Amino acid sequence: MNKFFTKKLSIISFIFIPIIFLWHPNWIGFLGVQPYWPLFWLLPWSMVNGSMNGLIFGFFLGLILDSLTSDNNFTQIPGLILCGFLFGRIKLHSDIFVGHFRYGLICSFGSFLCGTLYFLQILFRNFSDSNSLMLIPSIKNILAEVFLTGFFAPFICSQLLRMFKFSRRKI
Amino acid sequence: MLDIRRISTSRWWHKKKNWTIFGIFLFLVVVRISKGSIYKDLYYFISKPFWPGKFQKEIILKSVDQEYAIKLNLLKKDNNRLRRILSLQESSNNENISAAVISRKTGSWWRQIILNKGSKDGVEIGNIVIGPGGLLGRVKNTSFLTSSVTLITSPESKLGVWVDRTQINGLLVGLGDDSPSLILYSKDSDIKVGDFVSSSPASTLLPPNIPIGIVQSVDKTLKSKKTAKISLLAKPHLIDWVQILKVNI
Repeated sequence: MNKFFTKKLSIISFIFIPIIFLWHPNWIGFLGVQPYWPLFWLLPWSMVNGSMNGLIFGFFLGLILDSLTSDNNFTQIPGLILCGFLFGRIKLHSDIFVGHFRYGLICSFGSFLCGTLYFLQILFRNFSDSNSLMLIPSIKNILAEVFLTGFFAPFICSQLLRMFKFSRRKI
Repeated sequence: MLDIRRISTSRWWHKKKNWTIFGIFLFLVVVRISKGSIYKDLYYFISKPFWPGKFQKEIILKSVDQEYAIKLNLLKKDNNRLRRILSLQESSNNENISAAVISRKTGSWWRQIILNKGSKDGVEIGNIVIGPGGLLGRVKNTSFLTSSVTLITSPESKLGVWVDRTQINGLLVGLGDDSPSLILYSKDSDIKVGDFVSSSPASTLLPPNIPIGIVQSVDKTLKSKKTAKISLLAKPHLIDWVQILKVNI
């Protein structure tokens, strides 16, 4: 049983992402915005398992998170697929300290990418009426999310990366 | 012979990993089609010990003064009688369902709350959700035990409202922040800071006269439109208990 959990640690942690996404703890938020949780899992997963796996699980994450949000017209899949693919191309850094802070920058970039793609969908959908009204709140949302994701990534990603490498070694 | 065996063992369907990934994909497709019902119901059980207690609900109920309740009843009766005379839309005498908020996303793009009452309790898609203060949003989808509500601050939300003082109809659009925008399609519309906004009698989605908010600021006139920021009366990030109205418009 113990061996099973060690081997499947990455998949088990995958199940918790939607739960955290729904939980939405306000005390972590900044300007009412939360960090973009799926990237914390996707970055270490893609770094350990490569671009193709990153792309596939980016798609899976998008599917499951889309089903939890009530917005039918917008999707998170393109952003997460792109992030999964890009993250897979990043090599592990030999210096642990540099690697640690690099996660923050990479996740910030990923969050910016996902936020922008989502915003473009909203803009495209509301092309006729309220484009100019949406601009400022949307930029605020993207920047707050980028900041928070970058802030928490070094703590969470390095732990998850260590966990994934450990479970892979056992296999 | 050996060569043939080698080729045949390297086919993709002989790899267990590919079948596992295919299995996960199928599972996720089922989750996607069911709009995450499995996850929402699982979350229902996980979050159950942390639901808000009845304490807050009692305070809210006690704070409703008896005298105001009686006056409100009389006014409602009066209102219904006058509506019948003028052949206007009636807000039906609805049965209300009391529900607790078990998940709340009130920041960023996704502005929704999940309630602990679902199709089992008779909640239907399109039902109106109100909290202390006024309108919060509409039920977007339901699972067996839970229901998801799209808040009026969500970029997906567009509702017909009217300004009570001047009785002008407008469109309330969620922008993804805490104050939605009211768009009036006439640049000469008379609107001032402090005006009260409620659901429009012309709306096909909401019953009339549900309080929504107060005009916070009036923006510059754009082309033929006038826009204003609305401060909501019901605060979705604070409310733990809500009422689901089963309305037939």
